[in-house]
Amino acid sequence: MAPVITLNAVDYAIIGGYILVMILVGYSLKKYMKTGEDFFLSGRSLPGWITGLAFLSANLGALEVIGMVANSAKYGIATVHFYWVGAVLAMAFLGVFMMPFYYGSRVRTVPEYLKLRYNEATRGLNAISFAIMTILMSGISLYAMALLFNKMLGWSFHASILFAALVVLLYVFWGGLSSSIYNEVIQFFLIWLGLLPIVFLGLKQVGGFAGLTAKLNRELLHAVKYLGTSNNPLGVDWFGVAMGLGFVLAFGYWTTDFLVVQRALASKNLNSARMTPIIAAFPKMLVPIIVVIPGLVALLVLPEFSPAALPTADYNSALILLMKHYLPNGLLGLAITALLASFMSGMAGNVTAFNTIWTYDIYGSYISKGRPDAHYVKVGKWTTVIGVLASVGTAYIALGFKNLMDYMQLIFSFFNAPLFATFLLGMFWKGATPWGGFWGLLVGILTAAGHYILYKLGVLSYHSEMAANFYQAIWAWSADFVVTIGVSLFTAKRDPKELVGLVFGLTPKPKADARWYARPAVWGTLAVGLSVLLYILFW
Amino acid sequence: MNDHIETNERGSGMSGGHVLDLKRPIGWLLSAYGVLLTVYGLLTKKEMYAISLGINVNLVWGLVMIVIGGAFLLTAFLKRKKVAR
Repeated sequence: MAPVITLNAVDYAIIGGYILVMILVGYSLKKYMKTGEDFFLSGRSLPGWITGLAFLSANLGALEVIGMVANSAKYGIATVHFYWVGAVLAMAFLGVFMMPFYYGSRVRTVPEYLKLRYNEATRGLNAISFAIMTILMSGISLYAMALLFNKMLGWSFHASILFAALVVLLYVFWGGLSSSIYNEVIQFFLIWLGLLPIVFLGLKQVGGFAGLTAKLNRELLHAVKYLGTSNNPLGVDWFGVAMGLGFVLAFGYWTTDFLVVQRALASKNLNSARMTPIIAAFPKMLVPIIVVIPGLVALLVLPEFSPAALPTADYNSALILLMKHYLPNGLLGLAITALLASFMSGMAGNVTAFNTIWTYDIYGSYISKGRPDAHYVKVGKWTTVIGVLASVGTAYIALGFKNLMDYMQLIFSFFNAPLFATFLLGMFWKGATPWGGFWGLLVGILTAAGHYILYKLGVLSYHSEMAANFYQAIWAWSADFVVTIGVSLFTAKRDPKELVGLVFGLTPKPKADARWYARPAVWGTLAVGLSVLLYILFW
Repeated sequence: MNDHIETNERGSGMSGGHVLDLKRPIGWLLSAYGVLLTVYGLLTKKEMYAISLGINVNLVWGLVMIVIGGAFLLTAFLKRKKVAR
């Protein structure tokens, strides 16, 4: 099959320039990686704007961008739920209410918090499931990238995997979390600069936003209006969207997934750590500009998405076809570089989260305790090698799955959804006991598994795959919540003195900054207010 | 635990974390891209831009990227001057 897009020397120069800069940044960080904190937490020294943009980019992987353009072509403006109700509220909550316990307690990882708050068993359960999850996710990035470049550009599948793995390995091995975060910040700018030309040209061709809304089916143009029943393009009712996506999945992902929380922990002080997710919330609200508009434009300009061709259209190809449709060589290279950057940083983010969890929570806690710091830095570096190799392995496992977005949502509803209940109770209810936490988490994960089996057997049915994922998350979260409370009523509590700094009500409140404009609560409220305003505009 | 919150406030400079001013690599990369696209836009013929609605997007976007990249380099430069003083 002939490749869809043909690149020329200028395009390759742009791609090469990016790879060169990444390797140089990684190499120049090498000499500063002296202690474990340097390598795993960037020496807790980064300013808020860097950790904030990295916090956002860690989630703005190429799969999300391609998948969300596809969702927009399929579901229309309702896709904004993934950004507004599905992220902003959770990010503000993390910054304002939860970060004082994460950053304030000086834990290095999410499982470490669970150990301090609950017990060793809860930490072990979370550390092991998270390690498996990150390696699976990192393999997905790698696989999807190789598949895309193979189909679209005609690059060799195996060579793409090995080459990307080698670049990521080099810069994470040298620069640890800092390399990973810096790449994410660079990727943030590349994604916007690479995709905005498509937005402008698309809008110009269809006659601006007014032209877009005049020509499209009205169901595609409202975020909330048609959510009364599940008879809308999403196939989910308002309860599923609000509870499943807005509450359980969004909060589960944004507040407990170590991949994103690690970015905030790398901040230079508590205020920067609290501002990290809040700074990220503002650009997050704007991401629909570069995903929803192209998705809608695709319906109007691409022959592959004309009403006649729609039933058999491959929605995931929408973004690539738009690139081919609008971008000449030159800008084409820039757009491809943006995708390459977000695939690589997606993988690097998972690899750095994996090596931190492995080194601190598994190796340093169960295998070889109490060794000097330098030993753990060395272990972390070599774990990077193992993590990258394992990702190459899981990339070939991902070959066996048909729909990657569903596969990812499934992984989240297994591990993140129940974990959020454990955290909510742990941080805000001092009555939650160690074994309550453990059994709640375990039963939550098992409930997700049980729901998945019943759904696959056809015992439970939903209007769409997405509805199934949302309700699976709701069930897993509720099971965790109820079991944690139930078991806590009958098991021994921890001494309240040990919980100071970890639980709301037992921890002195962080002093509010005298300058109102430096306060996380002010900015958090503003972010939530703005997203409400956006909802009213696109009701 | 409480005193930990206080000690955090000493901020950066304790160990080698944020030693690289990220504004510089971003600024260099974006302005280099901008220059490349601008030059390429000037050298290429109009027919190539039929797909982009007749607009020489390489030239236009190249200039935009020079401005953005330049802004990063300028802030990095001003900051370094301030630190030196």
